[in-house]
Amino acid sequence: MGMENVIELRGVSKALKAFTIDNMNLQIKQGYVTGFIGANGAGKSTTMKLIMNLLQPDKGKVSVFGLDYANHEKTIKDRIGFVYDSNIFYESLNLKDISRIVAPAYKHWDDKQFKFYVKQFELPLNKAIKKFSKGMQMKASIAIALSHDAELIIMDEPTAGLDPTSRRELLDIFQEVMVDGKRTILFSTHITSDLERIADYIVLIDEGQILFDKPVYELQEQYAIVKGSTELLDADTEAYFIKIERSPNGFQALTKDVAKVKEVFGEHAVIEEASLEEIMFYMKGADHPYD
Amino acid sequence: MINLIRRDLIIQKFQLYVFIPCILFFIFFGSHLSAFFIFVFAGFFIPINAYSYDEKAETNILLNSLPYTRTQIIASRYIGAIFYMTVSIGIAVLLFYVFNRPFTWADIAIGVGITLTMFAFAFPLFYLLKPGHIGTAVTIGFILLVILMGPVITFFEEYLTPAVNFLSSVSTSLLYLSSVGVITVLYAASWLISQVIYQRKAF
Amino acid sequence: MENIVEFKNVTKRFKDFSLENFNLQIKQGYVTGFVGANGAGKSTTMKLMMNLLQADEGEVKIFGMDYAGNEKEIKERMGFVYDSNVFYESLNLKDIRRIVAPAYKNWNDKTFYNYIKIFELPLNKAIKTFSKGMQMKASMAMALSHDAEFIMMDEPTAGLDPVFRRELLDILQELMEDGKRTLFFSTHITSDLERIADYITFIQKGRLLFNDSKEDVQDRYALVKGSTDILNRETEELFIKVERSSYGFQALTNDAREIKALLGDRVMIEEATLEDIMFYAKGAKKQHV
Repeated sequence: MGMENVIELRGVSKALKAFTIDNMNLQIKQGYVTGFIGANGAGKSTTMKLIMNLLQPDKGKVSVFGLDYANHEKTIKDRIGFVYDSNIFYESLNLKDISRIVAPAYKHWDDKQFKFYVKQFELPLNKAIKKFSKGMQMKASIAIALSHDAELIIMDEPTAGLDPTSRRELLDIFQEVMVDGKRTILFSTHITSDLERIADYIVLIDEGQILFDKPVYELQEQYAIVKGSTELLDADTEAYFIKIERSPNGFQALTKDVAKVKEVFGEHAVIEEASLEEIMFYMKGADHPYD
Repeated sequence: MINLIRRDLIIQKFQLYVFIPCILFFIFFGSHLSAFFIFVFAGFFIPINAYSYDEKAETNILLNSLPYTRTQIIASRYIGAIFYMTVSIGIAVLLFYVFNRPFTWADIAIGVGITLTMFAFAFPLFYLLKPGHIGTAVTIGFILLVILMGPVITFFEEYLTPAVNFLSSVSTSLLYLSSVGVITVLYAASWLISQVIYQRKAF
Repeated sequence: MENIVEFKNVTKRFKDFSLENFNLQIKQGYVTGFVGANGAGKSTTMKLMMNLLQADEGEVKIFGMDYAGNEKEIKERMGFVYDSNVFYESLNLKDIRRIVAPAYKNWNDKTFYNYIKIFELPLNKAIKTFSKGMQMKASMAMALSHDAEFIMMDEPTAGLDPVFRRELLDILQELMEDGKRTLFFSTHITSDLERIADYITFIQKGRLLFNDSKEDVQDRYALVKGSTDILNRETEELFIKVERSSYGFQALTNDAREIKALLGDRVMIEEATLEDIMFYAKGAKKQHV
């Protein structure tokens, strides 16, 4: 069996009032952590809702585990764990009651596992969810998502509102969960340093369009920040860059063709690794982000 | 201070559009209601509604983060209530006049008196309660009112006649003067209590 | 160097949490980043700063003044951004401006509308229809439009995407240029602090662990890796926390110089990020970091 796609969006279009996704194609590979990034309002949540069947596409096909929602909704959802960016549990209930509601919905609910995460996250079982801090609510969602042996875990900004220490602990847990190679994690975040820590693939979305879907190592190999004197720039060399910022001291630009830039500019330019944040920053204002 | 009072108008623009039609509704279809009851409703409407906006913790954080003191915030509530009550009852009286519905000066006086007394009890109670519980408190208050209404009416039937006899024996001006005195003291005491409560409040 | 904020032996007790004997100085003209775990006391500290809470014991001074008697003057010179929306949800920005602007002597409409334009905020839409990021931008616009000398922000970058975060940090940096302003903000995104903070205040379980310049923190703290053979009672004293594995140990020190002098090339010494420091300090035995 070769590499399988756990999630596949083919030609998906969805028109919402203020926002549209047009002809989106996306594959999420099994056994990997995929980080989903993009500006606020770029379409991350909408895409995730399409994947969860909370929204139905106007056009195109969404399949999860190779199955479609029309015929296999229950099977699919039994195998998905999800974490949304806002609390979706009954606010006045405590975790014990919530687990009583959620557990019977899943075939493979593992109470021992759930108790383990509750302990690990230091969550109180008898306190109403509304008394939880944002971070605790997030941890509660994650504990539930991880307790029914889900093959696919989808999370909308799971690390938002968490302090760096809890974030790191959480990422360690995600990494542990991934060890057997069968699971897949898709999660969106604004904290790109978290992705640099654990993601294998990065999907960047902007204005409802997937700008790229690439393995992290490829991004690191191909993209770079280039600094140099503006004299280096002309119609030919400018084509190597996704976006160029000029200042009196010279230019600073993002390239996705480091090899070429090295070859042409040689020692005349300074070439630095581009962080995900920098890639996002430069691609946002790019004149030709899609080529 | 004036800015704090003006804020009540800004936050309830929509309710203000509803206010005049409401009064008109009472004038046309509430002919069985006493005029003073409509005045109470008119006077109560805006200040209490403004208050319901302020019960949120976030709003208190905002007001207390702006260059206002807690004393000012409470003062704006009490002065604002009088101001809005006066304007509202004024408008109601004007509408009564325009549409030719009968009313007396006594109706206005009783309306103002009851409204102020209600404020005097309501405000400190609201400041004492935790935000978000005011709705519950009002509901419980209403249920209590319904339950207690019966016994209270029997009580009044028994004792009201001597009370009315006593009241009619004193002169009207003395009656009005003492009512003004009692209500002023009540309102001032309420103001003071609210201030003490609010001063120690944590947000 | 003047202190804009000064906490002297401040104690504030709650049912399940307390700030004990807390001392803090925030220096004028600098950006101070405020870090600590959820529930460590960051919001409590900031509320004490805004007089939303009053200390049980001790003294809180802003601009050298006590809140008693100077509340208006202090708040006149402060700008604030909270992590939740504090504005009337059903109002639009135009109406909110009409409530907030008259409260300040130094309100500047031109500055305000300029920020509204930069932040691409709609003036006629109710705040409740705003996204988290837009709400944050609206708060920022309010905080920056009355020429505040001290701006306090509780997680202003939370929920914002990296691109906007960077734009925001650039705007804050510009604000700092005249050297008169002071900025104090809490965040969980430590890379933002590494970008613009001059000082770092680190709080844990209601106690101040350190309040030092960023350079100082970078100089003193380091991650040390090496073979477990090196570890003994004496050397362990140099570390805040030691993690052992079958490959060796990894530890955080707050005395990088001493480690270098003592253990030299027998260990690998790496720069510790703020995140590393927070991570190791959490389980540390020694609390006097």
